[in-house]
Amino acid sequence: MSKRLLAAAVAAVLAVAGCGGSDGASDPNTLKLWHYEGPDSAMGVAWAEAIKQFEASHPGVTVKFEEKGFEQIQKTASMVLNSKDAPDILEYNKGNATTGLLSKQGLLTDISDEVAKRGWDKKLGPGIDTTAKYDDRGVMGSGKWYGVPNYAEYVMVYYNKTLFDQQGLAAPRTLDELTAAMKKFVAAGVTPLALGGAEYPAAQLLYQLALTQADRDWVDRFQRYTGDVDFHDKPWVFGAERFAEWLREGYISKDSAGVKAEDMGLSFMQGKSPIMISGSWWYGRVQAQVKDFEWASVPWPGMTAGSSGNLWVVPEGSKNKQLAYDFIEITMSPAIQDKLRDAGGIAVAPGETPVTDPKTKQLNDDFKALVDGDRLAFYPDWPAPGFYDAQVSSVQKVITGQIGAHEALTEMADYYKENTASVGK
Amino acid sequence: MSSAPASIRDRGSYLLYLIPGGLLLLAVILVPFGMNIGISFTEWSGAGTPEWVGLDNYTRLMGDGTFWASFRHNVGLVVAMAILPTLAGLVIAAALFDFIGEHFGARHAAVLRACVYLPQVLPIAVAGIVWSWILAPRDGALNEVLRAVGLDSLAQNWLGDPDFALWSVMAVMLWIQVGYPVVIFMAGMQRVDPSLHEAAELDGASWWGRFFHVTVPQIRPEIFVVLLTCTIAALKVFAPIYVLTRGGPGGSTNVPSYYSFQNFFEKTQVGYGAAIATVLTALVLVLTAVFLRVQNRGER
Repeated sequence: MSKRLLAAAVAAVLAVAGCGGSDGASDPNTLKLWHYEGPDSAMGVAWAEAIKQFEASHPGVTVKFEEKGFEQIQKTASMVLNSKDAPDILEYNKGNATTGLLSKQGLLTDISDEVAKRGWDKKLGPGIDTTAKYDDRGVMGSGKWYGVPNYAEYVMVYYNKTLFDQQGLAAPRTLDELTAAMKKFVAAGVTPLALGGAEYPAAQLLYQLALTQADRDWVDRFQRYTGDVDFHDKPWVFGAERFAEWLREGYISKDSAGVKAEDMGLSFMQGKSPIMISGSWWYGRVQAQVKDFEWASVPWPGMTAGSSGNLWVVPEGSKNKQLAYDFIEITMSPAIQDKLRDAGGIAVAPGETPVTDPKTKQLNDDFKALVDGDRLAFYPDWPAPGFYDAQVSSVQKVITGQIGAHEALTEMADYYKENTASVGK
Repeated sequence: MSSAPASIRDRGSYLLYLIPGGLLLLAVILVPFGMNIGISFTEWSGAGTPEWVGLDNYTRLMGDGTFWASFRHNVGLVVAMAILPTLAGLVIAAALFDFIGEHFGARHAAVLRACVYLPQVLPIAVAGIVWSWILAPRDGALNEVLRAVGLDSLAQNWLGDPDFALWSVMAVMLWIQVGYPVVIFMAGMQRVDPSLHEAAELDGASWWGRFFHVTVPQIRPEIFVVLLTCTIAALKVFAPIYVLTRGGPGGSTNVPSYYSFQNFFEKTQVGYGAAIATVLTALVLVLTAVFLRVQNRGER
């Protein structure tokens, strides 16, 4: 009895601990797909349609879709992809610390041949394809293709047109015009700029300000390690000092250190703050929710944080890679790209169908101008794992007056240096 | 087997009932904990092959100011989540039991007890989001109320100012925690022999006298349990920090469990994160052992 009991116990422990059980066999007629876009988002709408088209064009094949959370995939992808439970295709975050890291560790399929064969590389413009290619160190921008993006995003200036009109202000197309507009609002007793210091927006704003003085070489050195990075060079110092100045002048509230991104967005959408500098991920929501005033957006003057959207990646352990490539092909088709665009997203390879909604048209036209001008500068937290928290913390300290602009740059420099030292190792 | 004494056979059959729990303990606690300790001796990004680095992570931990600062914040949270709720819980439980229960009936006491316990039932994510609205600097409810009653100068950036953030989190945690001791202590008070109180009353003891010399010593086991469980909860607190402040502003509310999480998932320094988690677990185990030893001695 005791031996049998022991054997059963060991089997049970292994099963519970996830070490036994399934042999990892996969059904050749099932495409296991994960993504984390909400069903109402532009991508969610487009990809639901892509799944339908895929099943119609692949009789007998079923798509087994599992909706995941962004953080769920971000935090557990490496462990899941290392196991037998990996899907055949999934949406994954772009950048060195995510797709780059997994590609370096051999967990993702090199899809370069497929990209060339199907012509996806021709559909993605410069700046868009940067996040899809990674070298042997896992650094983006060159090397093999490990993913395909089919939407994009960028940071812009949202403004309350009704309030601007009341102040006699025009669309703020340059940094000087933006500053003058904020000055006028402060004089009228209004804090003009909504900002969330507890999350990404404040660090992004500092980066945006630095980007007004930056060029492609500066961005590449910072993001792709193509040369020396000096956090006390002209763009960084300009960005940090201007950020501190905006705090001093009252353009940004000193209370914004504890404000989350969501509350920043609500402040703009409820008409409490006339300006918000943030990404296109707000666009659809602003369009749907703002009814009490007129709003508009203008591109950020100069280079701007932005890139392709997240990527479709094919795990190395995928058993149905051809089906996965077929699915990507469908998401890159003009019909699905137009569907994505018409649902409020930024299509990277739109078809010929004209856009009907003027705001959607502007969003996509502005993006095209950014790509044509090679002005996408990725996001400030990408170069080093955990840089997000470090930047949020440093910029929060500037907002609360714990440290000055230059000390914040020093903190960021130290973190960058320490945490990029192991890149490629 | 058939010739074995009956007591051994009985013991064998009892052991059978322990197997499911034992297996779960092994699979869910012991195996992962062992793996965590193993990982803490490596440098690992979460994928690929971990590289053995011996005690490097622990050596680094000793000189890591952020780690020690996070422990200092934890001391504040032990006060807010264990010591103050225990003290407040004692007074509230005694008031509900002796005063409300006596004068207004047990049902009223039960309703009030449920009200105090309510924050324990709320999911922490919901409570955290609601509190972040209440404590919002510009149009948060607390500041609005302060301004409405003319106390503008007291309005603060509760969660966004490094001088106030930890205190604000502590206040929220006190609100969340206090219901738990109240419920436990009220249950404990029910088993106190009423004749002890009557005797003390006949001897002329005041309410406070009876509270300190009869109630508190009689429910000492409950007090130990509450202090122990709340201290452990405070040491490993994660969700409220994640929801309310994410360790900010500027790291002023960072705690070891959140710092471990950051290293695991944000910085992909899994080995270092595992070392933090191991030290935290060791601390919790030591504290638990000390508590239980003190409690046993007290009972003897």
